[in-house]
Amino acid sequence: MKFIVCIKQVPDTTEVKVDPKTHTLIREGVPSILNPYDQFAVEECVRIREEIGEGSISVITMGPPQARSALMRCLAHGADEAILISDKAFAGSDTWATAYTLSHAIKKIGSFDMVFCGQQAIDGDTAQVGPEIAQQLGIPQITYVEKVSLDKTHKLTIHKQTDGGDQILEAKLPILLALLPPSSFQPEHPPMSSILKAKRKPFNIWDANILGGDKSKFGLDGSFTQVIKTYTPPSRGECEMIEDDPKEAAKKLSKILCKNEALAKR
Amino acid sequence: MPKDIIKALAKFELLGMVIDPEYGGLGTDVVTAGIAAEELARADLSCSIPVLFLVGTSWGHVIDKYGTEEAKKEIFSKSIKGEQIIGIATTESDTGSDLGNMKTKITKKGDKYVVNGEKMYISGVAEAMEYGGGHVTLARMKPELGTRGMNMFYLPLKDTPGITPTYVEDIGREAISCGGFDINNVEIPKHYLLGEENKGFYYIHEGYELARGLIALVCAGAASKALENGIAYIKERKAFGRHIGKYEGIQFKLAEHHVKIQALRQLGYKALWTYDQEIQGKASRFEVSMAIAMAKSVAPFWARDAIDDVMQWQGAFGYTKECEDQKAWRAVRSFTLAEGSSEIMKLIIARELLGKEFLAYR
Repeated sequence: MKFIVCIKQVPDTTEVKVDPKTHTLIREGVPSILNPYDQFAVEECVRIREEIGEGSISVITMGPPQARSALMRCLAHGADEAILISDKAFAGSDTWATAYTLSHAIKKIGSFDMVFCGQQAIDGDTAQVGPEIAQQLGIPQITYVEKVSLDKTHKLTIHKQTDGGDQILEAKLPILLALLPPSSFQPEHPPMSSILKAKRKPFNIWDANILGGDKSKFGLDGSFTQVIKTYTPPSRGECEMIEDDPKEAAKKLSKILCKNEALAKR
Repeated sequence: MPKDIIKALAKFELLGMVIDPEYGGLGTDVVTAGIAAEELARADLSCSIPVLFLVGTSWGHVIDKYGTEEAKKEIFSKSIKGEQIIGIATTESDTGSDLGNMKTKITKKGDKYVVNGEKMYISGVAEAMEYGGGHVTLARMKPELGTRGMNMFYLPLKDTPGITPTYVEDIGREAISCGGFDINNVEIPKHYLLGEENKGFYYIHEGYELARGLIALVCAGAASKALENGIAYIKERKAFGRHIGKYEGIQFKLAEHHVKIQALRQLGYKALWTYDQEIQGKASRFEVSMAIAMAKSVAPFWARDAIDDVMQWQGAFGYTKECEDQKAWRAVRSFTLAEGSSEIMKLIIARELLGKEFLAYR
C-alpha cells in the first residue's frame, strides 16, 4: 500500500490580528503551524497503516523552504518520507495551480493507493485543493471524511459528515479523501524518540526543474484567479444580543425590526 | 508537582533523554537535552518543570555513568516512566559552595552503608517522599582525607527508615517543592554506591556541570519568552500618543537584551557541545568546566535583567501576579545560587585563566 498525504504550513490564525486601519491581516511575527486539518489527515493515515500493518507514507507540501518544519512534524508523527516542492516558479499559485503542482508530484512519486488531504486550510478555507487534485489525477474523491476504516483485504469504509447526518460509504482504491477532524479531535504531540527518528528519514526538495511538467501551469501563470486583497470587513454597527427564551426573544426581535423599519408592520 | 505533569513529561520521553537505551532512555547527546530544557522554560516561565527536568537529566546521567547494573535497572525502570523522580542533595544548612566541609557521614557496615547527617535546600523532596525516587547524595567516608574521602550514592527517600523531611517555601519555582531531610542511621544497600568509594566529590561535579549548562539554556528560554511577551506589549501599549515601542528608551533596552539572550544561547549550547565532546574523548574536563562556568556565570543575570525590563515596560501591571513574566523573574533569581553560585562560576573561570596555583581557597 502506498499512502500520500498533502499538507500545508499555515499561519497560526489564533495569533493573527487585523490592522485596524487597513483591515488587512498582520502576518508579521505570526508563528507557522501544520494546518490542523492536515495533522488529522496525517494521524489518520498513520493509524490506518498501523492497523493494516503494511504500506509506506509520503507526505508532500508546496511551499517556501521554511515549510520544512511542518513536514518534519509529519515525519515525527510517523510518515516515512517527505517531499518539499519549493521554487519561486510556484509563487502566487491559486488552488488550481497548487493542485496541478501537487498532482504532478504525486504522479512523479509513482503508483499510489490513497491520497489524504485536510478538508481545508485554516488560512484560506477554500476546501478546493483536495478535490482539484483528485480531478487532475482522475481518481474518485470523498470529502468531509471524519473516519476511515481499511481492513487487511483493502476494503475501504468511510464515515462522511453531511448536513443531514453521517453517511457510511464504501469505495474502491485508488481514492482521494479530504478529512475533517471531529470536534473531539485532540492533536497528538509526538514523543521525543519520534522527533529524533524524523531527522533520519528521507527528506527531498523538488524545484520546478526536478518536478518537471508544464511550467506554464505553475504559479501565477497557471492560476485562473488572483488574490487582490485579503481583509476583514469593518464592523457595520452595534450588535445587540437578545437573551431570552425563544418565544420572548422572537417578540423582542420583531419589535426591533419593526422599529427600525426593517419589516413592514401588519 | 502534580504527578500528571511528571507523567506527561514521561509520555513525551523527556525523562530519560541522555540515558542509555538499554535502560529505557533515548541515548541522546546533551545538546539535545539542552534544546528540551530551553523549550520547557519557554513553556513554563516559573521554571519548575525545567528544574525537575534538568536535575533528573543531570543526575540521571551520573547514575548511568557510575551506577551499578542493579541500581540502574531499578532506578531508571521507574524514573523514565515518571513514576519516581531523581534529585540531587549535597547542600547542607551551612555548607553550600563549600562542599568539602559538609558534615554528613557515611560508614560501611557489612554489605551496607549507614548514613547520618542532614541535607537542606533540596529540590523535589516532597515529590520523592510522595511518589518515590531519591536523590544523588554526597557524604564523608574518610573525613581525614577531605574531598578525597567522599562517597557519592543514591538515597531513596520514600519509606526509608531514618529520613525525616522538612520543607521551606521558595520565592519562585512554586510547582516543585524545596526542603531538606534529616538522615538518622539510614541504611542503604551497597549497590546504591555510585562509582568507587572516596571519589564522590569528583564524580558529583560531572552532574553539576551538566546541570549548569542546562540552567544557562533554561535562563535563555525563560528570558526569550518574556522578551517576546514584552515585544507584543510595547507594540500595543500607547503612551503620550504613540506606541511605547517607538521610543528609543525602550528600543535600546530591547536590542541589548535580544543580543544578550542570543549570546547566552550560544554560550549555553557551546558549553553543552563541549560536554558532549568530553564524553567522546575530544575535550578535557577543564575545557568543559570553563565553557560551562562561562555560560552559567552570566545566564541568570542577563535573563533577570531582560525580564526585569519587560516587567518595567508593563508598568504597574508588571509588578502584579497577573503578569506572567514575574514568575520568570523570581525563577531565574534562583539560578545565581542553584547548582553552583555565580561566585563559584567566576572562581572556576579565574582558575582556568590563572592556573591551579592561584586557587582562591587552598
